[in-house]
Amino acid sequence: MAGISIRGLSKSFSSRDSDVAAVADVDIEVKDNSFVTLLGPSGCGKTTTLRLIAGYITPDRGTIEIDGRPLSSPGSVVPPERRGMGMVFQNYAIWPHKNVFENVVFGLKIRKLPSASARRKVEEALALVNLSGLETRYPSELSGGQQQRVALARSLVVEPDILLLDEPLSNLDAKLRERMRLELKELQLRTGITFVYVTHDQAEALALSDQIAVMNLGRVQQYGTPFEVYAHPANRMVADFMGLVNLVPGKVRERSGAGGVVEIAPELTVKVDALDAFAPGETVEVAIRPESIRLAASPVPGGTWATISNHVFLGNISEYFATLASGLTLRVQTHPLQQLKVGEACTIEVDATHCSVFRAGAGEAKAA
Amino acid sequence: MSTDVMSTTLRPRLAPRRPRTWLRLEHVVMGGAIISLIVLVVLPLAFLLIGSFKGADGVTLDAYSEVLTGRLYVNALKNSLLLGAYSGLFSLLIGLPLAWAVARTDVPAKPLFQITATLSYLSPPFLTAIALTYLFSPNAGLSNVLMRDVLGMPWLTFNIFTMPGLVLVTVMHTFPFVYLLASSALQSVDASYEEAAQILGASKLRTAFLITAPLVAPAVLSGTLLAFVNAIALFGSQAIIGLPGRIVTLPTRIYALFDYPPEYALASALSLVFILITVAALYLQNAFLKRRSYVTLAGKGSRPQMMQLGVFRWVLLACVTIVFFVSIVLPYATLIAVSFSKSWGLEFWKNITLANYKFVLFEYNVTQRAILNSLVLAFVAATLAVLMGAVIGWIDLRTKLPGRKLLDYASLIPLGLPGIVMAVALIQFWLAMPLALYGTLTILLLAYVGRYIPLGVRAANASLRQVDHSLEESAQILGASWTTTMREITLPLIRPGLFAGWLLVFVPVIQELSASILLFSSQSITLAVAVYNLYETGYIEPVAALAMINMLIIGAAIWLAYRLGGRSLTSRNDAAPVHT
Repeated sequence: MAGISIRGLSKSFSSRDSDVAAVADVDIEVKDNSFVTLLGPSGCGKTTTLRLIAGYITPDRGTIEIDGRPLSSPGSVVPPERRGMGMVFQNYAIWPHKNVFENVVFGLKIRKLPSASARRKVEEALALVNLSGLETRYPSELSGGQQQRVALARSLVVEPDILLLDEPLSNLDAKLRERMRLELKELQLRTGITFVYVTHDQAEALALSDQIAVMNLGRVQQYGTPFEVYAHPANRMVADFMGLVNLVPGKVRERSGAGGVVEIAPELTVKVDALDAFAPGETVEVAIRPESIRLAASPVPGGTWATISNHVFLGNISEYFATLASGLTLRVQTHPLQQLKVGEACTIEVDATHCSVFRAGAGEAKAA
Repeated sequence: MSTDVMSTTLRPRLAPRRPRTWLRLEHVVMGGAIISLIVLVVLPLAFLLIGSFKGADGVTLDAYSEVLTGRLYVNALKNSLLLGAYSGLFSLLIGLPLAWAVARTDVPAKPLFQITATLSYLSPPFLTAIALTYLFSPNAGLSNVLMRDVLGMPWLTFNIFTMPGLVLVTVMHTFPFVYLLASSALQSVDASYEEAAQILGASKLRTAFLITAPLVAPAVLSGTLLAFVNAIALFGSQAIIGLPGRIVTLPTRIYALFDYPPEYALASALSLVFILITVAALYLQNAFLKRRSYVTLAGKGSRPQMMQLGVFRWVLLACVTIVFFVSIVLPYATLIAVSFSKSWGLEFWKNITLANYKFVLFEYNVTQRAILNSLVLAFVAATLAVLMGAVIGWIDLRTKLPGRKLLDYASLIPLGLPGIVMAVALIQFWLAMPLALYGTLTILLLAYVGRYIPLGVRAANASLRQVDHSLEESAQILGASWTTTMREITLPLIRPGLFAGWLLVFVPVIQELSASILLFSSQSITLAVAVYNLYETGYIEPVAALAMINMLIIGAAIWLAYRLGGRSLTSRNDAAPVHT
């Protein structure tokens, strides 16, 4: 088994008139046997990072080591074919001229395994991904989900220490995606292989990962457990990317200990636990998750009056837009059984423990 | 496959398997292709350029001043431009309506349109030209004799040895360029563009003029320019029809400069003028074609609407039938009739014979040699052109080699070189080399590979683009070396495309005349040259037999292409996610 350490990794691609930094100063430590996700919007550098780990690209700066052995540095790169990794591509990259068996056995043939044991291993691998009996089918005769499993089996059969997955579920429909997600997680636990997973789907990342590296503009914005990046985003980009959030301007009113009070509207202040970096009077931005706001039809002590300006019923939750007298509108998610009408008055209460405060106008870390 | 079944044989090998060598197979292959391209195309062109400035004593512009002012040359230039312009115009007038009829109307017998265009395109123009002289040469042409002497209607005679005759023969071959480009553009215009105009209140006619026409105009213009470029490059028809009618054009003028004593400097300068015209036209053509890219971007492409033509569709059908008759039935029926007749004349059907075939196949060693030479040359040239194309395409699409775009451009240069110009360049280059290649089969092979390398590159490029890079990358990450990846993944996937490219080269090489006519010797004579020489020396009936044999070889190759190409295209691979 293997852990990966990535230090100071940078890579630029030259476009027509300038060099564009695809990845800049990325530091990630991937522990043995863990499931790590590179998460971010398209163009954030996550796929480039994965391809750097695979060895398809040479870094401009920085190093990639596996269990202390250097694999990539600007001067020398061990080519992909000598890394002993596995990779599942977004389009699966199942060879159309080979049947399922021939696809899966390919890596074993390269390793010159005797054909009897190769056959046994292919059968095992196909059983592992629930594809037994489809050995002689050609890719065009398989569904998207089945092709996906062939890609997995092909990577797993050579027993890699590290499996790289590039948005492997993005071409599947919602139901199948859900199921494959569970199977992938289970597979990782069972095999103990280190998974490095690339996706732009934050729900997928939260559900699968031990650690998430949220990336944007070529840099790692935050690296932590799913809970950390969701509940304690390092900056507003992370807060914004990890699900729905109200990002509202505010002003620090007072400080007490580590926390303090922030005013986000004349009639609404929130008490925040962590306010270290800010002095009273400073302008800030507050991130409030919609599920951290409670609505009540009747007055509640400490609550603020608002009017329901819009309502969207989503089935498992109900979404309201509550407009304060000062004009600020907040997105609120409640239990679907709570019924309020548009135009109705209500009180809102903010659960301040789940709010994050950022410097106003401060963006995320940018690639130079 | 839990941890306990992990076997030691599968441990990753992070250390290099073998010592790194600076010279790997891939480098040898790539280097070989680059050097070949330079020897085949770049150096001959350079020597052509140098040769055009060579005077009796050092560097001089004499050749250019002669070529640009001398009556003979200006006349040839004028005739070539005139021929190109007329051919372009008539190609447009025939090709566009036929394309529109097939793509957008309910005209009956659509396959007939397609067949007419395809066969016209594939027919070697010098064979059609010969066939038509049998009918329309002013004195002995069968049709002319019939009209004048038998039916007493001299006003129905037609002299083929005139500019209209030359244009007629040329257009038969060039109108498919307009047809093919126009019909593919018309078919790829997404119907939703037109539907969007109609829902906003535009009538069908207005939609056609305001939406469809601007979308397909670039493709149509580009097809017209291709017709122009091809029309002026055809040596065979211009020699067969033009020379008896004293219509000298650029290719025939260049050819005449090689009569003893050969005028190398003049031929080179005239060739460069020729290249200039061709390249200018191709540049325009390319610029037009780029502008149509938004048509092909249209994506899903729902079925275009078919216009109801009413009675008018029978008129269109009549038109295509006439084109079919004139450009296919008439020449081939004539060639067949002549090839089986003892002596061509009004009563040829009274003495049917196989003697002509027997003569060219079994008795005359020149034609035997020519057939064998052409088959061998076409086989080898097609193989080399496609292999080089595959390597050049691969370098362009899959490597980061500096200058790879330059390599790609260099491989397209021959598109701008008329065959006879290619021959002049090769002569200039190899006469300066210490190797005596002139008059050998080798120099013909070099000419063919050089001329048709763009077809090989294009075929390889197109098939490589269909193979997503991840298919190769996934073999690599599983441990496959470059050689293994090529053998197991890349080559099997592009094989159908390469085979199609092979036939695309094979067919024109079998009928190549423009370059061969300057490069052949009695030992290295080729099929097309033999046909031309027999015709020139007046062997009327055997020429037709040899022409038919030429056609049969082409037909067999095309039939093979359809059989094999068709199968590989509809096989199990096509639905797989190769395109992403």
